[in-house]
Amino acid sequence: MKRIIFLFFLALEFSADLVLEITESAIKPIKIAILEKNSNSFKGQEIINVISNDLKRTGEFRVLGIDELLSIPMNEDEVIQRDWLLLDVDSIIFIEVLDEDNALDVAYSIFDVSYNEIEDKRKVLGLPDSLRQSSHYVSDGIYEYFYGIEGISSTKLMYVTRNADIHELIISDADGFNEEVLLKSNNSIISPAWSTDAKEIAYVSFENNRAQVFTQNLATGQRSLILSSKSSVSSPAWSPNNKDLAFTSTKDGNSEIYTINLKSKKITRLTENLAIDTEPAWSPDGRKIIFTSDRSGSPQIYEIDVRSKLKRRLTTEGSYNARASYLDKSEIIFVHRSNSDFNIAKLDLSSRNLEVLTSTKNDESPCIAPNGNVIIYSTKEGNLSYLAGINISSKVSFNLPALYGELKEPAWSPFLR
Amino acid sequence: MKNILISLFSIFIIFACSSTPVEKVDVQETRTVDLTDSSKQDDKVLMSDLDLGEAYVTVLFDYDDDTLREESLEELFAVSSLMKANSSYTLLVEGHADERGTREYNLALSERRAKAVEDFLTATGISSFNIEVVGYGEEMPVDNSSNETAWSKNRRAELFLNK
Repeated sequence: MKRIIFLFFLALEFSADLVLEITESAIKPIKIAILEKNSNSFKGQEIINVISNDLKRTGEFRVLGIDELLSIPMNEDEVIQRDWLLLDVDSIIFIEVLDEDNALDVAYSIFDVSYNEIEDKRKVLGLPDSLRQSSHYVSDGIYEYFYGIEGISSTKLMYVTRNADIHELIISDADGFNEEVLLKSNNSIISPAWSTDAKEIAYVSFENNRAQVFTQNLATGQRSLILSSKSSVSSPAWSPNNKDLAFTSTKDGNSEIYTINLKSKKITRLTENLAIDTEPAWSPDGRKIIFTSDRSGSPQIYEIDVRSKLKRRLTTEGSYNARASYLDKSEIIFVHRSNSDFNIAKLDLSSRNLEVLTSTKNDESPCIAPNGNVIIYSTKEGNLSYLAGINISSKVSFNLPALYGELKEPAWSPFLR
Repeated sequence: MKNILISLFSIFIIFACSSTPVEKVDVQETRTVDLTDSSKQDDKVLMSDLDLGEAYVTVLFDYDDDTLREESLEELFAVSSLMKANSSYTLLVEGHADERGTREYNLALSERRAKAVEDFLTATGISSFNIEVVGYGEEMPVDNSSNETAWSKNRRAELFLNK
């Protein structure tokens, strides 16, 4: 559990290259500096480190190090504007650590260099043991100030690791720290999914020698089997209103898509044919489900209207398109085979324009961050499988190195703030 | 006078606070479920719960395909004859896929491969009640490497006889 964290520390100590592989910057990153106000405390430095790394990872910020600065102001009044204009710095972030009475609050202000004044002031109330999470809240506040969309540093990642015969389902902070094991098993775990309210998860476990879907409450660890069947049940996906779960089962003889109402347990069958139908994913409004079907002879992506059951085929290019999810209501991402490689691709549903987003070879399980701007997926190189990500607007890619035997099946949490 | 100052001061604080957006960090508790040392379920009603030893017969498949190869048919006819001669025998067919493509699609594909074996055997007169089918997708490869030799070995259905 600690090894992934260790690498992040290394990256933080020596260079960011271990975690951040910048391939191309589509936009000009915003240049900032982060300083502690009126103090130079250990906790302040720790917080600044976490925030700097959060912002660097987006590829949309350039955070100046102390050695790059011409002057170091203790607060907003000491800023020598000329020094900062010379460096072409957009803003200085002043962090104030309020460490008292079993609380660790962080106040921060965004000082705009060209206007030479404070543009925004915010405060995050936290506890002494939530220093990293409090810092992530600050990162997200800064990100939102500059880009107008919510940051994802305070979200969580869920993934599966495998070391020899031990399979673990784990959640961590978005930067890989604070790992917590949710399920430990001797059998495979696949397809983890978050409930819309982030209080529960669903996954496929092979613990009873076949694929079965379980839900698990994060806080209590209480599990329930979604459907008792001698046939396989898999590919769970929570509806946006959190009331239904879409899944795949062969209970009627062939792989079909169903939904189950989690309260009434009423099951609705959505597909009906002799081909494989699997990997359901809900549209943002919950009215449609996209899924993989090989009814045309090769796996392709189809969309079904949940109420009218009207279907249409979405992908036409390529002999293998699978595991799709909506990026927004007009774009989908999925696994696409181009030549002999499996990559993550994006399809614009109105223009039909297909764009291959990744250049690794065996890419799988793409999932989208809740702000719709980052895709994380699993990939394999030799015997090493690890997670990789791409920022859609900045085109920056990053890796979460695999020091586990295998690191796979990522699932990004909803917003938790 | 002092009181007025204090109340003025508190008004200032309230004002100052209301102008600064404040959010509270929410820390979620989690709990670990450990299945590794819990004993398996007791009611071994399914063949897949039993340890049936080595596969009696293994048949291989092409990429993204669940069609039985001609070379497999002879072995499957032999299984069919054996099961006809011993009506108490039951059969477990486990389907598998190679690592390429997505896990869930491979799960469905692997189950279809096992089903193709079942369909063949039922066509030769074996009752489907005596056959159990399970798909493991790409989760249990026989060869972990990423090359065509390994993939061709992993695209398989394994037949286990329960005598």
